[in-house]
Amino acid sequence: MSVGEPKSIYAPMPVTIRKITVENDAGDLKTFELAFCNEEDAGAFRHECGQFAILSVMGAGESPIGIASSPLDKGYVEFTVKRYPTGVVSSALHSSREGDKIGVRGPYGNSYPMKAMEGKNVVIVGGGFAFTTLRATIRYMLDESNRAKYKNMTVIYGARSPGELLYKSELQEWEGKDGIDMYVTVDKGDEGWKGREGFVPTVLQEVAPSSENAIVLVCGPPIMLKFTMQPLLELGFAPDRIITSLERRMSCGVGKCGRCNVGSKYVCKDGPVFSYEQMQALQEGSP
Amino acid sequence: MARGSMKKADFPKLVAAASENAAFVAPVDGPSGAEFAVIGPQDDVLFDFGNTKLPVKRHFFPQSEVLYQYANDEVRSAPLPEGKTILFGVRPCDVRSLLQLDKVFLDEAYVDPYYRERRENTLVISLACKDPAEPCFCTSVGCGPAAREGSDAIVFDLGDDLLFEAVSEKGEEFIRSQAETLSEPEAELVEKAEKAAAEAEAKLPKIEVEGIAEKLPGIFDSPVWQSIADRCLSCGICTFVCPTCHCFGIHDEKADEGGQRIRVQDGCMFLGFTVEASGHNPRILSGQRMRQRIMHKFRYTVENFSEIFCVGCGRCISSCPVNIDVRETIAEVMR
Amino acid sequence: MSDAENKLREVAQDLLSTGRAELVLGYENGSLPMTTRPCFVRSAEDVQRLVWNEFCTNNLAVYLPGLFARPANLRGEWVPPKVAIIVKGCDARSVVGHIKENQVDRERLTVIGVPCEGMADPEKAAAGAGGNALADVCLACTNPTPEVADIMIEVKARPAAGDDRLAKIREFEAKSPAERWAYFTEEVSKCIRCYACRQACPNCYCKVCFIDQGKPRWAGAGSDISDTIFFHIGRIFHQAGRCVECDACVRACPMGIDLRMFTVKLGEDVKDLFDYVPGLSVDEPPPLCAVDRDEENLNTEL
Repeated sequence: MSVGEPKSIYAPMPVTIRKITVENDAGDLKTFELAFCNEEDAGAFRHECGQFAILSVMGAGESPIGIASSPLDKGYVEFTVKRYPTGVVSSALHSSREGDKIGVRGPYGNSYPMKAMEGKNVVIVGGGFAFTTLRATIRYMLDESNRAKYKNMTVIYGARSPGELLYKSELQEWEGKDGIDMYVTVDKGDEGWKGREGFVPTVLQEVAPSSENAIVLVCGPPIMLKFTMQPLLELGFAPDRIITSLERRMSCGVGKCGRCNVGSKYVCKDGPVFSYEQMQALQEGSP
Repeated sequence: MARGSMKKADFPKLVAAASENAAFVAPVDGPSGAEFAVIGPQDDVLFDFGNTKLPVKRHFFPQSEVLYQYANDEVRSAPLPEGKTILFGVRPCDVRSLLQLDKVFLDEAYVDPYYRERRENTLVISLACKDPAEPCFCTSVGCGPAAREGSDAIVFDLGDDLLFEAVSEKGEEFIRSQAETLSEPEAELVEKAEKAAAEAEAKLPKIEVEGIAEKLPGIFDSPVWQSIADRCLSCGICTFVCPTCHCFGIHDEKADEGGQRIRVQDGCMFLGFTVEASGHNPRILSGQRMRQRIMHKFRYTVENFSEIFCVGCGRCISSCPVNIDVRETIAEVMR
Repeated sequence: MSDAENKLREVAQDLLSTGRAELVLGYENGSLPMTTRPCFVRSAEDVQRLVWNEFCTNNLAVYLPGLFARPANLRGEWVPPKVAIIVKGCDARSVVGHIKENQVDRERLTVIGVPCEGMADPEKAAAGAGGNALADVCLACTNPTPEVADIMIEVKARPAAGDDRLAKIREFEAKSPAERWAYFTEEVSKCIRCYACRQACPNCYCKVCFIDQGKPRWAGAGSDISDTIFFHIGRIFHQAGRCVECDACVRACPMGIDLRMFTVKLGEDVKDLFDYVPGLSVDEPPPLCAVDRDEENLNTEL
């Protein structure tokens, strides 16, 4: 008595790698543009800014990656992935070619508080390759259909060196736009670099964005987050107006396997987006 | 509420009749102690045992199972498990653990189809405890040697007699379907069962856990966690023998042509459970892992499901190679 | 036994109060009948917790590599702790192994040796065996008196076992390969891959065990019997010439797998091939690390 294939919450949807862009000079950060193989999957996949999906490489494993494309980008989904030498999945992804098929399941998690951000100034602070979901958010907000909902946009984004900056062409494009103030910085410049030098927390203090009627989204490596929280609080941002994204190792992505527990919450289901206030309440919540 | 009684010596007849439409799984003596196995009328079923070495969760959430297979760029989800099962002889603590695991695996947002199928196709007949022994403490965490919640029927071992009592509709149906072997019990048998249950309950210690969920956040940063976990070997046995532990990992298994993804039981007490690709491990110290285990079972699940995820079966206490005793940990926390 | 107990408490008191040790690893009473458990004593007031009886079965050497390893996330200066450890004969052999494999800072380690009268098997004791409750592993013990000790407690040890200690091994060796394979696979088919054997074993201190590696992935994590067999074969061979027969793995295993049979069998093979017994002498190099130039059959043409 065969029951037929169950609708399984664990099985990925097949996608083709349509385009691979190498983002940095070191070559270990690549953006993968993925197209769904099945029409229904393409139609069903609707994500919000800040969500993530689980990339599945057959023969290697799975990995949760933040979605880097805007919810308004049709027909494809983008992910920017860093290759870790010890990472089985990231290494497999980086060895793949355009035209290869992999799997995606999701979108999972909660999103940035887009509704709460309407009518407010939005400050975006990003460091290193944690900038991916912030980039999705900036693209979404800058779209004609959305721009009017938000007030002024301030972006402070830093990388270790000029070669490490992601989405370089977009950064340039946004530099010239009205209504968005870009402050791109590097920890250490090189001969060609004519821009800012300085750590993100330092630049944040220099720029000193106003906390009046503002929400700040901040994503970065643990050490950057540690040194950014204090300046933000000093600038007058209330703990529930500082929004960040937590990272933990994951397995199921659907709040069952226990691996990404932080306090009573699952980073995959109740997060990854948490406010600073929520993070404080989750005693294990430091990044 | 239907009841039925029979002579223990006639048990093989019940097994024979019930096995016609379902696999009959019952406790037997195994190489490592009491364990559940599919039996036939000729097999010796255990009635006199403390508890099975491994918890009953394995019947619904196996040690490892295939989630899906992949080949030629196609993914095929594993088929649903087939067949009905009668799970006999489950201790009330293990039954209670199923109700708790239901809250995780049958969460409406994402229902685990394999777990659900097994749950729906299994009749759970529990066996009341006559002689609870150290280190059981089920009554302290809302369970009891004759607790009925969660089973379809409960059985009392009264020496030469067995008394069946239906708890759910499915249990009623089962008892009625076994009219050939089960007969209306004498009133004194029912009395004997109630007395045995009360006696068993009196034997169990009372461990104070009232308010533990509220106490825990206050001692999050306490050095007590590391001092409890100093001797912990991070062997993970506690998570494997625990009826409510449900952490798992998803692994890729490549074959020559295609491969599969399997789900494997895992445990938060292992050093590498939370290690990230960058090498960073938020719970690198055994004290942090111990804290997570206790917090998860005695506070986080209370927050999320209003339940302490511990059924007082005592397996972790008897299995720990360095005698880390959750009763002592609870007492330490309550102080 | 209480004589040894008092002496141990005195020694621990002395080491802690003079600063010669910051931590004394010993045994204290357990929460279940007929058990003791490892005890970390860090101050002189706590030495009263230390006990010595026939249930002091744990091999405390398992904690040494971790204590002497630099913490992963620590920056700046780190000084290893001064540790004192109470050892029986088998445990001392583990310490010898650690010294040879550079897992301990010898200067900062104080070994307190207790000649062992043998430990009891709780199951035998519960069944009322009285004086005959000694654990099987102790009946087969070759070195009840610690081979290395900075401080030796003066008590008498039980006599070392004679050649009949290998009766079960010889019986196993007499079987055909097919029979041996059948016994081995039957035993390891009980395995639930909890890795308690590995965690309890003082020899298993690898930062990442081969079975947990992803690159390359040597074996799967599921219950496939071939993966389980691979794990046990790997672990047993990693113990060849290193296993000191302390029984920590057997006691830890929740499923009662006869692990010691296989590691001891390989130990005997190493003894025959290399004339080497682990854990007896700090100066004797392990066979995998040593080549004797005058050795017969040495191939110098590679």
